[in-house]
Amino acid sequence: MTQFTRRSYTAPGKIDGTDSDFVCHHCGAYVLANPVISGVNNRNHCPYCLSSRHLDLFEGGDRLSACRGSMRPIGLTFKRGHKKYDGQTELMLVHECQACATVSINRIARDDDVVALRTVLEQSAGLSPAMQEHLKAQGIHLLEATQSELPLLTAPAGLYTQYPEA
Amino acid sequence: MNIENTDPKPGVVFMRTRETYYVQIGRERILCTASTKLKQEIVVGDFVVWDDKHRITTVRPRHNQFSRRAAGTGYQQQIIAANVDQVLIVMSVAKPRPRWNLLDRYLVSAEFAVIPALICLTKMDLVQGTAQREEIEAVASEYASIGYDIILTSTQTCQGIDELRSQIQASISALVGQSGVGKTSLINALEPELALRTQDVSHHSNKGRHTTTTSQIYPLPAGGFMMDTPGIREFGMWDMTEEDLIYGFPEMRPYQHACKFSDCSHHEEPGCQVRQAVMEGDISPYRYQSYLKLREDL
Repeated sequence: MTQFTRRSYTAPGKIDGTDSDFVCHHCGAYVLANPVISGVNNRNHCPYCLSSRHLDLFEGGDRLSACRGSMRPIGLTFKRGHKKYDGQTELMLVHECQACATVSINRIARDDDVVALRTVLEQSAGLSPAMQEHLKAQGIHLLEATQSELPLLTAPAGLYTQYPEA
Repeated sequence: MNIENTDPKPGVVFMRTRETYYVQIGRERILCTASTKLKQEIVVGDFVVWDDKHRITTVRPRHNQFSRRAAGTGYQQQIIAANVDQVLIVMSVAKPRPRWNLLDRYLVSAEFAVIPALICLTKMDLVQGTAQREEIEAVASEYASIGYDIILTSTQTCQGIDELRSQIQASISALVGQSGVGKTSLINALEPELALRTQDVSHHSNKGRHTTTTSQIYPLPAGGFMMDTPGIREFGMWDMTEEDLIYGFPEMRPYQHACKFSDCSHHEEPGCQVRQAVMEGDISPYRYQSYLKLREDL
């Protein structure tokens, strides 16, 4: 196996169907990728079932992965690194590829279903010890069910589909 | 048809302008014209015959031709070079930045035209002592592992010029590439007496200024010929189908018949061995992405 060099000069791939509206491979819902609706530039998962596809390799949006496997949400975590929003870190969704077991961390979009997010949080407690160790080894610390009082997870469904006040 | 009037005087078109053709026969150079119909056909590198009025009458069949889809909305062929022994694909490592996807397009076209390709990365002095140099060298080794000859050059430090000279001697090489990558500067480095006109890239956009506007063949002192061509911005594929495209990627060919489906597009289908090879690190994901992008364009 060859380790190919990540190229700094290459612009993100724009392969048809990977940067626009799509039909969820898991639940079949039609998903709008418009940033005005989702609040994110890279709409990478279904807002209803939170499933995604394994399309990126080195960074979000590069579309360099040939896996194309289904990615299922396995938990929630906080974004690593800088604190972007008033000193608070951002809540993130953890996906695992069902084909190659790659784990990735993705932004939660404005229109993601809050009930589905809470379900993912609750089900993440049931992850196998091996999987939890695997995540910890990658520096990913999943939220525990006791942290379900976070504002995003207690908000009524639909709140985040409204425009924030100026 | 009077055979006596078609006295064959084969010569090579070494330069053309809008209305005239400069044809070389031996050491003699002749200025010729051509009928409106023939003007559409003649390109630099063609073997032609002409009559007593120095009017080109026939274009000999070509050994090969390197072409692209003409820029614009129409679907027309534009022949960039004809009757060449190899295509020298020139790409700068900075100013303008390298476009690996464009390089892949040139390579695929060369594969389909059955013309050997030699990759020449220029302006290596601009990345001297930087992390970009390591990246460029690593990517160059990836192309070398596919089987392409690749030379890293700098006309400022003369890096790679001797190696390039040895690779092109005793052959006709067509220089192709984006505007501003240093095609004409390479010819000047190989043959300084030519002193061909070059310009710096635009300081505003870091892009070339389209200094070379016509194709021309230059003899080299060490033997061989160089065909300089104007820089281009886009390179659309000509005369290819989606099914054939994979033949343009030599490293993917061994896997194509191993796919689960015989009509596999190597994009989404389960059991695709090309995708599997990408995931296992046998094929570069960037080359695979180039394949997908090219497939979209066809």
